[in-house]
Formats: sequence, structure tokens, C-alpha cells
Amino acid sequence: MVDWLSLAVPLAYLGVLIGSLATFSSLYRKRKAQKAASLESWFPAHIQRDIYFSLMHLDPPAEKKSPAVPESVLKASLLRRATEDIRRVMTLRSQKQALGVLLQRGSVGDDLWQRFLRAEKEMEDEVRDVVSEANAYVPGWGQVIFQSANEMLNNDLYRARLKEHSEKAAEERAWWDKKKSSIQEEFMKELNEESAVPNAKIADVSGSTSPIAPASVSASRPVTPAKQNLAASVANTPSVQGSDDDAVMVEADTSTVNSPGTPGSVSGKKKNKGKGKK
Amino acid sequence: MASEIDIFNEYPLYMDPSTKAISLLPSSSQTASQKAAITAELTELNDLHRSLISLDSPNIPPPPLPVNPKRSAQITKLRDSGNAAYRKSNYADAIRLYTLAIEMAVSRPGWEPVTLAREELAGLYGNRAQAHLGMRAWPEGLCDAKASVDSKPVGNVKAWWRLSKCLAEMGRYTEAKTFLLKGIEIEGRESEGGRELVQLLGDVEAALQRAD
Repeated sequence: MVDWLSLAVPLAYLGVLIGSLATFSSLYRKRKAQKAASLESWFPAHIQRDIYFSLMHLDPPAEKKSPAVPESVLKASLLRRATEDIRRVMTLRSQKQALGVLLQRGSVGDDLWQRFLRAEKEMEDEVRDVVSEANAYVPGWGQVIFQSANEMLNNDLYRARLKEHSEKAAEERAWWDKKKSSIQEEFMKELNEESAVPNAKIADVSGSTSPIAPASVSASRPVTPAKQNLAASVANTPSVQGSDDDAVMVEADTSTVNSPGTPGSVSGKKKNKGKGKK
Repeated sequence: MASEIDIFNEYPLYMDPSTKAISLLPSSSQTASQKAAITAELTELNDLHRSLISLDSPNIPPPPLPVNPKRSAQITKLRDSGNAAYRKSNYADAIRLYTLAIEMAVSRPGWEPVTLAREELAGLYGNRAQAHLGMRAWPEGLCDAKASVDSKPVGNVKAWWRLSKCLAEMGRYTEAKTFLLKGIEIEGRESEGGRELVQLLGDVEAALQRAD
């Protein structure tokens, strides 16, 4: 006959022990999983990828006549996706070393490293997926799709830079027009002042014929030698120009320099004035 | 992880049956900024799609090399006529022709090698800068020369010179000096073009001293 009463105590003890261990274990695991899931992903949403899949899943419209998304659209979308993938892979590659150093020094937490590893793994899968999709459309495309995507990415960056430059042109033009007019104004004011004080530079004025001369003499006398210097350097340019393929530039350049009678020369004089004052 | 690759955000997209243009349906739950990003991306996608359709079957971009020579020939032709106009001091015409050539070079399809585009555009922008210099249009010349230098910093001594010249003409000597020093560093003093840069640097420094 078993003594149930005396067995009850150790059984209860075991029950409580196992029960508490089980609860602890399940709670701990749940919390860990939650933490891993709540880790922020490294990159923002992959729009290109979402669009690609959305297109794949786009339901054919109700009326039977219009077909589903044509393959060419999907191909274009896949290319965009590959381009974005390249950008992400590059980012990861450039960040990896720096992040490793920071982690070793203990400057960043383990969380960040976990997130990074996860992003790396995701990108690996993503690239593999793109390659297999490309091969599914056209056999052999998988080998070159990333080459094409890379060029597209670089071309995009380069075009953006060029666009910036061309947009700057209007800005520079506005600045220069403003500056030119302010120089002119200043110059006119100076001219008026000169005439208000008739005996100031009368000797100088008498020697010159043009009305611009007094101001230019008084304000920029030391400039003139340098000015000639500059002109000389312009005249010399052809040798630079000539160093390359287009000998065309050479002749034309000399002609601009050697023809002071062109309409440009007047405004040139004013500009020289402005320069002397600076 | 295999399950994660299949997860995606579905967007309510709509395809125009005739033009095949994809657009975002307005009845979506995204925020304004998300919508803007998606719409921008869709515009890019539609552009790319259009350039893909114009290709031969199977409608995929060919590998970057070799390049289709047709466009390069056209660009060269435009540049040559631009050079001819410049030679006759017909700067406005030269600028127009160079601009056409630049547009054509910029519209090269994206999958063609970027180095090619850079090389071509560096020359075109350099030439247009020179034409602007001929018209005494310093700001435009400055921007073109900057674009040229940006496209191809090495072996582009003429563009460096034009860039600095425009700045000096506008009285911005400090900037001119910075660019000259950079240009000299890249091109070296000994080359023929390098000496021109050094000479211009001397002038600019003289002007700077006068300004002080």
C-alpha cells in the first residue's frame, strides 16, 4: 500500500519546480523572439521590390480583354529592383568595416551588429532572388543584370551631378548681373564725384580723351601692368589649346584676343575697372 | 529567412491598359511622403519601360560593352559642326550645336558605360565653356567648365584653365586660386598645360595682393 500522503509532498515539489522552469523558459523565449523581431531593419522599405511584387500580384482586370501586366514592365521593374539592390549592397560593404571596429571597441551595442548581420543576410537572399528571376525571363540575363544595373546607378548619379551644374548657371548669371550693375553704379558715382571736385586730378584728366579715363586712372593705376600681364596670358593660351586634338580652338582664340574692335571690348573695359577696384 | 523573402508591402497599383503606364491608386493608406516616393519611383519605372520597349527582342538591356556606335557617331558629328562654327567665331551657333550634342550624350541609355558618357561630356562641356568664354559669358562658362572638370578631372587641363579664367574675370580670385592649385596638383607643373595654369596662378595672386 502506497502512502499517498507522504508522496504528495515530493510530487508537489517536483510539479512546482518543473512548472516554474517551463514558464520561465517559455517567457524567456517569447521575449527574445519579440526583441529580435522588434529590431529595426537596417534599410527603409524596399520600394522597388514592393512594386515588383505588387505588379506580379496585380490581378488581371475583370474584363478578359485586357491582359495582365506585360513582361516588359516586369523586366523594367526588375531592373529598378536590381539597381536599388546594388546601392544597398554597396552601403553595407562600406559600413561593415567601420561597424566592426566600433563593435570591437565597444562603442556600439550588440543590437546594431545583429541588425547589420540580418540586413546582410537579407541582401544576399535578395540578390540571389533577383538573379533567378532574371534568368527566368531570359536565360543568361542573370549574369549581366547587375552589370547593367551598376552602370545605371552610376549614370544616374552622374546625371544628377550634371543637372546640379546646369542649374547653378542661372544662379551664377543672376549674381554676376547684379554685381556688374553695382560696379557700374559705383563707377558712375565715382565719376560724378570726380567732376564735383574739378581741381583734384585735373592734370591727369587733361591727358586723356575718354570720359572713363579719370576714374580708371585714379582708382586703378597700379592695375595696368598686371592687366597687360593677364592679356598676355590670354594671348598665350593657344599653346595650351593647341596641345590637344582641336587645333580649331587655337585660331579662334587668338582671333578673340587680337581683335579689340569687337563689341565685347567695351564691356570688357568696364569689367577691368571693376576688377581694379576689388 | 526563406519566409522573409516573400514578405512585401503590397501597393494598390494600376496599369493603363493602352500605354502600360503604372500608377498608384489614390485610395491607399500610405502617408504623403511615402506616396511621393512611390510615385517618383513609378515615373522612373515607366521611363525605363519605355526605353526597354524600344530595344530589340528580348527587351533586356544588352551588356554594357560593346556600345552601339550610332549615337556616338551622331554626337561626334554635332561636335564637329560646333567646332566649325566656333572657328568662324560664330559663338552663338557653336553653343547651340554643343548644347544639342550635350543633350544627346546625356540621353544615352543608362546601361551604357558611365565612363564613356563622362569622357564624351567632359569634351563637350569644355568646348561649350570655351564658346561661352568667346562671348564673354563668364557665369555660363564657369558652370560648363565646372561640369567638364567634374566629369573628367585628369587630363583635362583646358577645362581647369577655363574654369579659373572665368572666376578671375568675375573678380573671384580666391576661388580661382583654389581651383588653379587643384588643377596644377592634378596636371603637374611640367606639362605644357600645367605651365599655363601656373602663369594664370601668378596673375591671380598678383590681383589678390592688389585687392588687399
